[in-house]
Amino acid sequence: MSVIEVNNLVKQYKGAKAPSVDGISFVVEKGEFFAFLGPNGAGKTTTISILTTTLSKTSGEVKIAGFDIDREARKVREKVGIIFQQPSLDPQLTAEQNIRFHACLYGMCGYRPTFKMMPAAYRKRVLDLAEIVGIQDALFKPIKKLSGGMQRKLEIIRSLIHTPAVLFLDEPTQGLDAVSRRGLWDYINDVRNQYGTTVFLTTHYIDEAENVDKVCLINHGKIAACCSPEDMRNSLLRQELILDAEDRTALTNELTALGLPFTVNGRVIVPYQESAQDVISRLQTRLTVLRIHEPSLEDAYVEFLNKSGRDAA
Amino acid sequence: MSTLVLTRKQSRVLRELNTVLTVMAREVTAYLKSPGAAIMSLAMPLVMMGMIGGNLMQNMAGGLGFEFGQFMLVGMLVNMLFMITSMGMASMVDDHDIDFNQEMLVSPVSRYSLVIGKILGSAFAGIVSMAGTLVVGLIMGITLPLGKLLLILALSPLMCLTGGALALIVIGLIKNRKAANLAVNLIVMPQMFLSGAIIPINNSSGALMVFSRLMPMTYCLDLARAVVYAGTPEYDSVVMFNPMVNFAMIAVLTVGCLIIGTFFFARSEKNR
Repeated sequence: MSVIEVNNLVKQYKGAKAPSVDGISFVVEKGEFFAFLGPNGAGKTTTISILTTTLSKTSGEVKIAGFDIDREARKVREKVGIIFQQPSLDPQLTAEQNIRFHACLYGMCGYRPTFKMMPAAYRKRVLDLAEIVGIQDALFKPIKKLSGGMQRKLEIIRSLIHTPAVLFLDEPTQGLDAVSRRGLWDYINDVRNQYGTTVFLTTHYIDEAENVDKVCLINHGKIAACCSPEDMRNSLLRQELILDAEDRTALTNELTALGLPFTVNGRVIVPYQESAQDVISRLQTRLTVLRIHEPSLEDAYVEFLNKSGRDAA
Repeated sequence: MSTLVLTRKQSRVLRELNTVLTVMAREVTAYLKSPGAAIMSLAMPLVMMGMIGGNLMQNMAGGLGFEFGQFMLVGMLVNMLFMITSMGMASMVDDHDIDFNQEMLVSPVSRYSLVIGKILGSAFAGIVSMAGTLVVGLIMGITLPLGKLLLILALSPLMCLTGGALALIVIGLIKNRKAANLAVNLIVMPQMFLSGAIIPINNSSGALMVFSRLMPMTYCLDLARAVVYAGTPEYDSVVMFNPMVNFAMIAVLTVGCLIIGTFFFARSEKNR
């Protein structure tokens, strides 16, 4: 069942000469972990803003959890949670007061003037989440006194407090240290497993998208590819063997004789399609270096951008 | 991971009321944490009531047919509510700058609840200024009967809503703090002079009369004065309209301004 349906979505900002989002279409299934990748200015944040009803579209059709974003915007908002790309905290309030504000607006509990007066369920959830992302000591400090990373963690807590059906993460780990990033992803995976939450991610840390179910690449406002990370890696890049030998000439002569393509770039690089074993078992030259290079999603992403840059040129 | 999940239990109406309360509480919290705002709302009565009002009383209050001090005190009380609430509404521009408006607008609540909460929260500072005005009035020897003062206090949320809704129409469209401050002055000053806060407008004519009838504060002031002067010989020379007319005009203008202002606010945030 599709939880996000985008059909021919177009957004052209006032005064802009070209659309920022130019007729994109895709679907995200319920419970799917979906990554929306692209360079700066590609249209990722614009798309997320439209999907979360905070920005109007120029044309096209968008449904979230079966609800039309124009005609049933309130029902859409009930279903979504978002971590915005830019911090959206009130610096005059404490960290907990920011969470309380959000929880009350989402109807999780009635407003009370102090944390101690809030319902026990709210207090427990806030304390649990604060512990998970490691800001329990900063919970009652004013936002002004929190570092950028701490503020980001607070926004993460805030977006999860109402357990949304669809969670939009617009570069959620920007500014977080490695330990916090890992903690966040562990928690988001737990949330997905427990509640079947659909996650829509944009990120510049491509490694964070390695384990997603589906990845869409957007460039210049258009969808360039939409498939699983594995398919993307396979379609864009070949796997490679990195070899070397004391007698490199013998090795390259042997590769040539076997009809295997290779390049020499510091080491001897031999691309292969099926199995590395097939290549290695045919070589007689004594090797001093043998490494298998599995291309990452980031490799595929960079190659895609380079390729699309060349195509555009 | 916590297995405890908060659930949405509230009815739609309760939820909207909770939203109004939550947004209002945020404004009050921010006000209480800002010494500058508190000083400002206490200094304004000194300037408005003490300096402007005092000068008018000493130099221009003769031959009116009623006691000018009390007339002006009521005017200043209502003016303070309008002025300070309008100034508070300018913080919507700050909320836009820190992307907090997005945080509010992505939540599944009515835009009207958000706006009404904002206005009523801004009104808190107005009520502090109102109290300051009463203290300055007391020092100047001008007082109001306690019962009538409590009636004005009971009407004050409605008056703040009117003032805030009017300010919303302009501020909802503005995304720059300097422009917002100018806009607030453009809203507040004509009302102060044209609606009879400090200068009687019973004999206004022509364009000035038309403008005065278009100002929501005119009806708020007249209603407040109807409360204060009820049963006194000065009632007919001070109060211009039947209180029911005032109520009706306040209701129409407030609802009208709220609808237009909220539309502008939500539209300007969403249509970029």
